[in-house]
Amino acid sequence: MSIVKTMGATAALAFGMSVLAGAAQAQDCTTKIGAVLPTSVDWGRPIAETAQFAVDQVNAAGGAAGCEIEMVLRDTQVDPKVGVDAAKALVDLEGVNVLLGAVSSGVSMPILTSVTVPSGVLQMSCCSSSTAFTGLATEGKTGGLWYRTFATTGVQSAVGAKVAADQGYKSVAVLYKNDDWGQDMARLIAADFAAVGVEVTASVAINDGQPSYRAEVTEAVTSQPDAIYLALYPAEGTAAVREWLSLGGTQNMILANSLKSDEFRDNVGLQYLGSALGTDTASPRSESADAFRAAYQERFASEPNGPGLANSYDAAMIVLLAMEAAGKDASGADVAAAIARVTDPDGTPVSADTAGFTAAKEVLASGGNVMFQGATGNVRFDANGDVSAPAVIWSFSDAGTEEVEFMSLNDVDAFMASLK
Amino acid sequence: MIGVFSYLVFFATTASILAIAVLGLNLQWGNTGLFNGGVVAFFGAGAYGTLILGGTAQAGHLGGFGLFYPLALLGGMAAAGLMAWIVGLLTLRLRHDYLAIATFGVAVAFENLMRNAEWLAGGAKGVRGFERPLRAALGDGFIYNLFFFVVVLLILIATYMFLERLVASPFGRLLRAIREDEEAARSLGKNPARIRLMAFVTGSVILGLAGGLYGTFYAFVSPQDVLPTLTFQIWAMLIVGGAGNNRGAIFGAFLIWGAWTLSGWALSRFAPVDVQLYTGSVQFILIGSVIVGMLMWRPQGFLPERLVVSQRGKPQQMQQGE
Repeated sequence: MSIVKTMGATAALAFGMSVLAGAAQAQDCTTKIGAVLPTSVDWGRPIAETAQFAVDQVNAAGGAAGCEIEMVLRDTQVDPKVGVDAAKALVDLEGVNVLLGAVSSGVSMPILTSVTVPSGVLQMSCCSSSTAFTGLATEGKTGGLWYRTFATTGVQSAVGAKVAADQGYKSVAVLYKNDDWGQDMARLIAADFAAVGVEVTASVAINDGQPSYRAEVTEAVTSQPDAIYLALYPAEGTAAVREWLSLGGTQNMILANSLKSDEFRDNVGLQYLGSALGTDTASPRSESADAFRAAYQERFASEPNGPGLANSYDAAMIVLLAMEAAGKDASGADVAAAIARVTDPDGTPVSADTAGFTAAKEVLASGGNVMFQGATGNVRFDANGDVSAPAVIWSFSDAGTEEVEFMSLNDVDAFMASLK
Repeated sequence: MIGVFSYLVFFATTASILAIAVLGLNLQWGNTGLFNGGVVAFFGAGAYGTLILGGTAQAGHLGGFGLFYPLALLGGMAAAGLMAWIVGLLTLRLRHDYLAIATFGVAVAFENLMRNAEWLAGGAKGVRGFERPLRAALGDGFIYNLFFFVVVLLILIATYMFLERLVASPFGRLLRAIREDEEAARSLGKNPARIRLMAFVTGSVILGLAGGLYGTFYAFVSPQDVLPTLTFQIWAMLIVGGAGNNRGAIFGAFLIWGAWTLSGWALSRFAPVDVQLYTGSVQFILIGSVIVGMLMWRPQGFLPERLVVSQRGKPQQMQQGE
């Protein structure tokens, strides 16, 4: 009981303070945007930090649409009903008309169907990958309010197949995370491998949080492939690869972008990753991407390596640019409609930092369009809110990762067409 | 102001759905002493059953029967009941923690089945494409949410009244007799195995009802909705509210769900910016502390079970079946 009382007293005190603070800032104009991200999960927190980083840069440029931006962050706990409630609270209580999130497709989907679409709020996810969203959008049930900066799994798997073909692998075993993303990856990569004439010897699901993956890995090892394809997250990826190597599996690995992490590299050991090649949607070709990297290092004193960081940054930045383009007091649908103006392939290129945002403001104010060159490249959305992007093949190095090959958007499109 | 009201309706809908689930568990644990550690499996069976039966056709998995909504909901409840009957036949000879472990295993198996059997329920992608009933007539906005809340509230009240009558009846007393001393009940010529199964199935059907409403509310269900966390949450609601007391079960659902959401909101609103990123973790600590505190200082819950002694002068139904 005493805990409850103390909590009540703390809340009351905090409420009183906030009323005072609110009064002091009353003359400033602040626009709130919502974010529902799994901050209680280890890999979720950096995603939220990166979104906040984009907001800070925009505020340094004087905010968007004439107002300072405040990002109200809520934790989803990776629990759909907690995430949906948080989203509803942000929309109804904080009055946001733009929502960033969520990460898991299983959380983003009920938010989309029961909160954002009914309320006319723009929802931009950094990391939800399920093909179910494309289906929903095709049926016209997203109302044009759904976007995501996570390139469809199609790009990832196509480039993975290209790596296998280029390296001359004849057979590949697949280990995939047993969730919507991993199941999609496994299905797509099998088709793409078949298209380039690579045999899939085994396709094994890896469940989260198991103490050992010996049974799963053994199944893949005994199929004796030339290489292994890993669509896993760092924690399970590390455990699975350790067992893979200790059972005598080949060091020829193809990695999805989720393993582009220092944690994975350090825990497996660089000496075992010499023949590992990863795929990712393209980064860092343009000046703006270098600007993002430099600014990120200055702020966090580390490379922006980790699942979803660049995607989260771009999600926040595109939303803020669209808010600028849509002007003051725009509705969620207005902001959603303005996204085309800030990702226009024929627009003025702008970099992903404070200076870029300032430049974009001028162009948009004079009625022009801009092309945002983000941390994941020149982001371009299709009619379903899905993003296609250039791709990069990378390998691990002492400093983190380094680029092996860059594929422009046209290269990617041409290669994907050749697989059909 | 309309925003606050709209949010409260939304909150109360979720809380009422959870309250129905807690009532179902209360029949099993509070009244009969069956430690169901697999609450989420029956909840999930209701949700999946309802959406598969009532949804539009989806490529790649079962579904698209497009049944009239009340029939779909009944179908979801039947799915939960059928599963409970099979599970009950197999496990109800187990007692206490053994039953808890067995049912927990059933829940994990259920989640894994839903995650992997893509032909059945879409795998990890989940089941979508469900049209919420009467949506065409009422639109998508606040009016619909209000209407849905009223429906859920009426179902909650009906469930509560049904259970109140049930536990006050001779059958209810038999449940408590089995809970307290099975041998004694057997010595009076009762068949504890059959009664335990009946209570287990009835409670699970109520859990399935809650699950069906939950799936309807979000028009979506995926394996992420049937993780063991939900079992824990529903148990926490029952323990804090008061096991064995139906009002306690409802109160606990609103209290815990309220604390869960209010603490998230308050932390995001009032915590300093540099602590914001850690509010998710802080919230877990706060909720855990409340539950530990309850167990230490008020283990019987806020509204403890009212012990009814059968004697003259009590309401008439207490006397029957003597």
